[in-house]
Amino acid sequence: MNYLFHLLVMINIYAILALSLNLLVGYSGLMSMCQASFYGLGAYISTLLIMKAGFGFIPAFFLAIIGSVLLSYLISFPSLRLRGDYFVLATLGFQIITFAILYNWVGLTRGPYGIPGIPSPRFFTFSVDTVFSYFIFTLFIAACCALLFYWIGNSPFGRSLKAIREDEIAAAALGKNIVRFKITAFAVSAGFAAISGVLFAGYMRYIDPTSFTLNESIFILSIIIIGGTGNLSGPVVGTILMILLPEILRFLKIPDSVAANLRQIIYGLLIIIIMRYLPQGISGEYKFE
Amino acid sequence: MLAQLLANGLVTGCSYSLLALGFALIYFTTRTFHFAHGAVYTLSVYLLYTFFNLWKFPLWVAILIVLVISAIFGVLMDETLYVPLVKKGSSQLIQMLSSLGFYIIIINFIAMLYGNETKVLLTGVQPTYHFGSIIYTRTQLLILITTAVLVPSFLLFLKKSKVGMMIRAMRDNPILLQSLGVSPRQVRWFAFAFGSVLAAVASSLNGLDVGIDPNIGMPALLNGVVGVIIGGVGFFEGPVLGGLLLGLLQSLIIWKTSARWQEMVTFIILILFLLFRPQGLLGYKRRTEETGL
Repeated sequence: MNYLFHLLVMINIYAILALSLNLLVGYSGLMSMCQASFYGLGAYISTLLIMKAGFGFIPAFFLAIIGSVLLSYLISFPSLRLRGDYFVLATLGFQIITFAILYNWVGLTRGPYGIPGIPSPRFFTFSVDTVFSYFIFTLFIAACCALLFYWIGNSPFGRSLKAIREDEIAAAALGKNIVRFKITAFAVSAGFAAISGVLFAGYMRYIDPTSFTLNESIFILSIIIIGGTGNLSGPVVGTILMILLPEILRFLKIPDSVAANLRQIIYGLLIIIIMRYLPQGISGEYKFE
Repeated sequence: MLAQLLANGLVTGCSYSLLALGFALIYFTTRTFHFAHGAVYTLSVYLLYTFFNLWKFPLWVAILIVLVISAIFGVLMDETLYVPLVKKGSSQLIQMLSSLGFYIIIINFIAMLYGNETKVLLTGVQPTYHFGSIIYTRTQLLILITTAVLVPSFLLFLKKSKVGMMIRAMRDNPILLQSLGVSPRQVRWFAFAFGSVLAAVASSLNGLDVGIDPNIGMPALLNGVVGVIIGGVGFFEGPVLGGLLLGLLQSLIIWKTSARWQEMVTFIILILFLLFRPQGLLGYKRRTEETGL
């Protein structure tokens, strides 16, 4: 049973990540390759606040979001002036820089040794330390996030983003400040990604930089490409599929040494097939052109 | 110490500039951000390992076979992966993501066949050559000489030959080229074939120098791309210069700080260039509509 709830916890965490990236890719048309860096920043900021500065879980949770949002301006201010390939390249650069800092600033993050013994989240006297209670906890947070995303998507802000995505010049002609909208979308997205990071750290109770690499960013991106973008169901469907796929391979009794590579090959194939024949993904709304 | 670091930086820079030139050849003409170039890089050096170390071909025969295969592979990849997308009128973004998917497939296929551990192509102690206080191994010298011969002659080929002219024409204005009756598909073949061969040369030499593992492709490709951006878009001399400069710059970073921060400084340089000089060192300012890049 724990195994099932473990998968569900991972689905909840990744669903928040996928939804956060969806705000950039699906709503704003910004192909970002640095989502894992905000995920990692959330995990590290909350962990360091809890373990080194003695903060409680709730303040650490919110400070991690704020920290991630502030750091997102570092990349969004400069890179949003860039277009197309150059924007992707800039976010990819930011991802690699963040990883290098997490990995090499051993004095603060312990680098490759990682941080063990992270306490489970505590609320007053109640500690969320079983897999089942963590499932309920993450389900609650993920549901809140999904509601917020639903609200954002239908708000004037979300609809303006979609307008910018469809036709930047027309949106500008209607008096929308394109750069400011994109920077805000980036910040909101970074904040939600940080929530996933906090949840991940509290669940695994150990973090190291290898969870937050460029490959992880590509994985998050492939979740929403395969699932679809521009609405809520696409990223969620993508998350469920991509988290469960390795487990299906496990049930097919494929040896572990091959399974990891085989999984990646399937991801790669899915990306190519979806891009060619189904650019809106399995259940998305926004169609890449 | 500094002299030796710079000497090593020059060797690294040479392999970057080969890679950058190959990438630019494809990127400038087809406007495709060819992530799978990293897969060609990895695949070709694993082919070299297969022919040279496993099947015991003589080294030069093995390299020759690898170059031919990688050229064919490059063209086939274009035909199966990009041409259908271009025909459908898909955006650069879709092509980029498909390319990324293709990269993931090839890399994991290689890892599945050969395993994840590092493989050494040349065993035993390599002979070294002393030039004053600088020491080069034989493989390093081979990299320097190959680049010094191959790159200038290839640039000359691009300048003088008919094929080179078509490639440069497609870089500058693909629509005008079509209206002159040249099939862009043919030019694509040349771009992908030559580009892939350059990647294969870089990876073969580098593999002989430091050994291989399945994940060498992406970092190598990214360094090449940074070289392209530093050097500048619009001229094929740009990527060559950018690659060399990046190699030297990275050795200076090691000298000033430590190897740990090399990657980070490289990408900070990339972002600074994208911001303040997106046209690169040699390029001149153009409108996005004009270049399509």
